[in-house]
Amino acid sequence: MKALIYGEKQIHVLDALGFLESLKALTGESVEAVAVVSQPKNEISAEELKGANKVYAMGVTSSYASFNGVLKLYNELSPDLLIGAATKNTTEILARISAKLDVPMLTEVTELEKVNEDIILKRNMLGGRALISYVFSKPLILTVPQKKFKPPEEGPVPEVTEYEVAVENKVRVIEVKPKEKGAVDIEAAEIVVGVGRGFKSKDDLNIAFELASLLGGEVGCTRPIAADYGWLGEDRWIGISGKKIRGKLYFAIGISGAPQHIMAANDSKVIVAINKDKNAPIFQYADYGIVADLYQFLPVLIKRLKERT
Amino acid sequence: MNIAVLVKASLDTNMLRIDSSGRLLIDETPLVISEYDRNAVEEAVRIKEEKGGKVVAFSVLTWGPIQRKVGDAENALREALAMGADEAHLVVDESIIPGNVDTTVEVLKTLIEKFGPFDLVITGEASMDMLSFQVAARLAEKLNYSLVTFVRKLEVLDGKIRATRDLEEALEVVEADLPAVISVTGEINQPRLPTLLMIRKSFAKPLNKYSLADIGLAELASKMKVKDISLVTITRKNIMIEAESLEEIADQLIEKLLSEGVIKG
Repeated sequence: MKALIYGEKQIHVLDALGFLESLKALTGESVEAVAVVSQPKNEISAEELKGANKVYAMGVTSSYASFNGVLKLYNELSPDLLIGAATKNTTEILARISAKLDVPMLTEVTELEKVNEDIILKRNMLGGRALISYVFSKPLILTVPQKKFKPPEEGPVPEVTEYEVAVENKVRVIEVKPKEKGAVDIEAAEIVVGVGRGFKSKDDLNIAFELASLLGGEVGCTRPIAADYGWLGEDRWIGISGKKIRGKLYFAIGISGAPQHIMAANDSKVIVAINKDKNAPIFQYADYGIVADLYQFLPVLIKRLKERT
Repeated sequence: MNIAVLVKASLDTNMLRIDSSGRLLIDETPLVISEYDRNAVEEAVRIKEEKGGKVVAFSVLTWGPIQRKVGDAENALREALAMGADEAHLVVDESIIPGNVDTTVEVLKTLIEKFGPFDLVITGEASMDMLSFQVAARLAEKLNYSLVTFVRKLEVLDGKIRATRDLEEALEVVEADLPAVISVTGEINQPRLPTLLMIRKSFAKPLNKYSLADIGLAELASKMKVKDISLVTITRKNIMIEAESLEEIADQLIEKLLSEGVIKG
């Protein structure tokens, strides 16, 4: 089987290589994987891309130029699979190629399994409440979630070659403003204390920060706290358009539990919900639920935690 | 400035119907206008209010049974009309139910060419039920229009647009020639809530229904065949901690978290 992998950055290639490992284990078929990345050659470390047979470096920054390169390479190689990590630009590029060449595409395939002779691919729908499954057939284009599938640890180190692409001119990039990189990376945090609309003011969030620091965790938030009130930066926003967390413990405090929020937090090992509304949907997704006013309960919880240490 | 806005009647994730054996009942689950498509309608209407022209809303029914779902799809379009769209067109056809993104885009392309030309096609970044994030990109490719996805700020200039794309690590400002297809994020605006008067007025606006044959298309079949849709079984413990005092609740919670090994003693 021949696979073409696209990555904005080389780290995204690992997600696709991980998926191919799982696919190989199910089919027993060998896979030849060619990767193409938007980064320039000098930013690529071939030792970290074991499992890829060859790597092309385009050295372009926009999704429009990257599309031209991936399409050109796709036509040269006629792969059975085109795979990328589910970033926004990758989804855009792969969807364009899917439409242009009439090859079907699935966004964010999270699971694969063998049923009789068929390989079944599954993805989330309905905000993570349901799984929709498809029978795998070639050719196929797909994206996979970041850091979901484990890349191979062994394998030959691929050769890296520069790959020249044309720059599209119907859309022109005028400016790129890097988002403020706060010191927080809640996606990497083992413990996250999430705050929602149950908090009445920005100052009141201090108590959540105190709890997070006691537990050695980070503070995350729902969409309104970041996008509507601007009380916290978007780097703390847990949601399908924001960050996805998968640590040991998630405290959802004053959060009702919108599907988009749940979907991005549901990979946490243990979820605790604190809400004064006993009917809040968040309790359905929690291991431990506490119906209480956060303004009364959090100070008590913090006091008790402090008394132990 | 003529603008097409794409509206999906999405399965209502807050109103899922589930039977006693835990089976998801798609047929019984109601449809509702997809959240980010309301942002798309709002943006289209704001541009019309500033630049003139018309806003045409399009929708393709993707969930059945038709009899039960067509009213929901009409309501989704009626909401777009109440917000300020001028006319609405809905395609309902057995052969594309349940629909997939490839068949839906094929129909949308035909509709836009039939009722166009349009300067701008606007849709939400993704539909709430499927979250495929593919429609804008596919449609731009099929129409050979410029494409700008994940737009959180939009300016219409002379013959082109300037848009700010919200990416994971950066905001990317681009200029694109018209005609263009854009997808918008929930941050681009605050959709208006139609007043009673606007709702009443919307019933005087055209809302037309078509089969595929009506718009000159033969039966369509998706290349992606769905095998099954199943409810995710929630494996959470769902233990409610109750006690006489908040102190006792706190202590019980701490004990549970210690025994789970997720906090340190």
